[in-house]
Amino acid sequence: MDMLVGGIQSIAAELGQAAIFLSIFSALWAIVSLFIGLRVRKPNIIKSGRNAVAATFILISIATGALIFSFVTDDFSMKYVVEVSSAAQPLLYKITALWGRMSGSLLFWLWLLTVGGAIVAWQNRKAADNLADYALIPIAVVQLFFILVVTGWIEGVYNPLDRFPGGQAMVDGQGMNPLLQTPSMAFHPPTLYIGWISLTIPFAYAVAALLSGRIGSDWIHRSRRWMLFSWIVLTIGITLGGNWAYRELGWGGYWAWDPVENASFMPWLLGTAYLHSVMIQEKRNMLKLWNILLITLAFQFTLLGTFITRSGIITSVHAFAQSDIGWYFMGFIIISTAGVIALMAYRWQRLKSANRLESLLSKESAFVLNNWLFVGLTLIILWGTLWPIISEAIQGEKAAVPESFFNKVVIIPGLILLFLTGAGPIISWKKITPNNFQRMFISPLFVGVVGGVVAWLFLIFRAHAKAAAEISAEVTEVATPNFLMRLWDFITFSGQPMPIFSILCVFASVFVLVAIFSEFYRGAKLRAKRQATSFLNGLGLLIQRNKRRYGGYIVHIGIVILYIGIMGSKGYFLLENGRLKLGESMNVGDYQFTMKDSFLDEHDNFIRSGVEFEVRRNGGKPTTMRPSRHYYYTTGQGEQDTIESAIQHQGMNDIYIALGPLPTKEILGGKMSMPEKIDKETVVNLSIYHNPLISVVWIGVAVMVIGGLVAIAEKSITTPRSQTV
Amino acid sequence: MKQRRLKVFAASLILLSGFVILVLAMTKKESMRELTPVKLIANAETMDNQNVQLVGAISEESTAWDAEEFKLTFAVRELEKTATKIESIETVNVIYNKLKPDNFIDGGNVFVEGKYDAKQNVIIANKVTTKCASKYEEAESAKTTEGSS
Repeated sequence: MDMLVGGIQSIAAELGQAAIFLSIFSALWAIVSLFIGLRVRKPNIIKSGRNAVAATFILISIATGALIFSFVTDDFSMKYVVEVSSAAQPLLYKITALWGRMSGSLLFWLWLLTVGGAIVAWQNRKAADNLADYALIPIAVVQLFFILVVTGWIEGVYNPLDRFPGGQAMVDGQGMNPLLQTPSMAFHPPTLYIGWISLTIPFAYAVAALLSGRIGSDWIHRSRRWMLFSWIVLTIGITLGGNWAYRELGWGGYWAWDPVENASFMPWLLGTAYLHSVMIQEKRNMLKLWNILLITLAFQFTLLGTFITRSGIITSVHAFAQSDIGWYFMGFIIISTAGVIALMAYRWQRLKSANRLESLLSKESAFVLNNWLFVGLTLIILWGTLWPIISEAIQGEKAAVPESFFNKVVIIPGLILLFLTGAGPIISWKKITPNNFQRMFISPLFVGVVGGVVAWLFLIFRAHAKAAAEISAEVTEVATPNFLMRLWDFITFSGQPMPIFSILCVFASVFVLVAIFSEFYRGAKLRAKRQATSFLNGLGLLIQRNKRRYGGYIVHIGIVILYIGIMGSKGYFLLENGRLKLGESMNVGDYQFTMKDSFLDEHDNFIRSGVEFEVRRNGGKPTTMRPSRHYYYTTGQGEQDTIESAIQHQGMNDIYIALGPLPTKEILGGKMSMPEKIDKETVVNLSIYHNPLISVVWIGVAVMVIGGLVAIAEKSITTPRSQTV
Repeated sequence: MKQRRLKVFAASLILLSGFVILVLAMTKKESMRELTPVKLIANAETMDNQNVQLVGAISEESTAWDAEEFKLTFAVRELEKTATKIESIETVNVIYNKLKPDNFIDGGNVFVEGKYDAKQNVIIANKVTTKCASKYEEAESAKTTEGSS
């Protein structure tokens, strides 16, 4: 039986290798035949090119399938399987090991790319024009680049289907890092990959527009759903990463502006800018050049992420293996961008806008400002991320900027963008009129100001309550000031820095919500009146008839919710470090934590040691929290211990406990440590966080995704012949 | 028409200038030198009382957790692959008053942000980061991280 499995494993690996090498020819065939076929207008040659795209998909599917088969059947004669998997690894993580490290990630990326190419070819097999065939050329070029990377010809990257020389096989594998063996980490990388890869398709359509000379809105319509799909998936992927960090790493946060986080965020920002600017091209026939540039940048930034993480030039917490691959990516970025710029120069005349901005106060200007801010934010983040290289080039010494740099520089453009989230939908096209301002802006602005004042008063009372508690704790004699001084002290937060950004955030959020809900209300009321139906039916009809617009508005509501969540969780969290023995208590905010008991239990591939807390809010009903540490000891499981935080949702807030080192005893002559049960004498170190409004962050993202799904449900618009130039 | 374009240009210029000034000012304020232990010790005088990002490896058997003080202490040495024998002896001590992060293992790569006290050769860290999990990848790479960190 073992011989049979071994034989099948060997055949599968050889087949996979052969498929990768054959795909070089199919990708080349696709590029050449599509290019020639479209040039000489021969449908048979074009069809042959399309078939080659399908062949690449089949070949890379065989290679990917072979690798998955090797993981599932524990083929430890394969180098990659040994490095990322082990016999004891649960099946889910054996499969997700496919993208556990660089070689497999690249094959997975390539496979997704071939899926995208095959879908484009299939969707457009009966299309009346050749725009999709033109788009298949850049797709095949990108595929060819990835195939060459996966073959293992580049120094530092081996072919994931490589076997050990001389038919050797290991007894077991090293196993995946325990921190990665969580459901959110199983899905976070593939979601990001899918998001990045689907950005290739709109980029390919932009290149297709340049190649074919059809610079109208046709390419935008064809790629609209791809772009929205990419945006939705990237939104989910980035959030899954943050959620994983929050749950697994024990530091109570979800975003730290690490270079790799930034690399995933920058294409999202550019993609969001693009989603807005294409509307100007569709409505006003403007920004044609800008849109092509923007989608090119968004695509290139997905590759730039690989350069940042793999070239070794940036110090990152995400310490991926460094190799020459980063520089190959940079070479491809430079060459492909130069190619797009050359095509833009060639089509210069057709890229000129048909209209110009008529006023600075118009929907068009709001969209342009929105684009500037998104691109500006991207450049700021890029600047901070690449600062080590820039500083070395300018000053001759490497320097870095901390997390606080990013927090400080993004806040102002971020708040302006938040305001535009409400202003954009309600401002009129071409030029704002006094009537438009009065009808659409006055109420949201007024309610926004009221919201800001309420937030200001709330924060004042909060700050004074805190100050009073501190004074009473210190039992300090304080001179009683006169009434005016007390009033001044009161409104200026007793000399403490005023949380102006929080107040502005609340003002802008309320403004946006009122503006957007008014849009829904007016539209639904009108629709209900016209159709002689109820308001709710009217609302349903309104969204159904214009999914793109109202889906977008739902996204805007999600953005507001997200901002509120970020404001609360980043700006007002509490952290207390403590040391407790069983039976002892500590207080954090309104909560009292009593360490009641300890536990030690064995699982399939780890031992869990932890403590049980009784938690009471203001002396109320008790709840239980069980933070722990997991000790992975089985061979191939990483042999380390990890923090397993306990998180309890209290409304929209979280309380979060992470444990410090716990007592262990050495085994195997000091080679390994095993946990010991915590007794009454053991001092347990812990960090307790109170994270206000953190659930609001996840809710905000969920609403954004729902909005995106509503928008994507709208079928692509058929472009009038006149616009397809 | 010309006047309107001028207005657009002026508004754009103001916005852009604002952005650039904000970013440059913040960069100047927040930027901290990124050094390895050997380079930090060599520049001890100029780096005294300065914020610094130290990049290196956790020195073997240097880690201690003081449960009473809630204090993690350890030493950082040069990354193995970049160090000569003499360099590998030079270490910078670190004091960190937060929980030990996951993946904190002897010889593992670590990034420390904090203020350097040259006299004591110690960094009072406000952030300690170990290499993130995706990683375990040193063996995959044929090249080292030489000079990169």
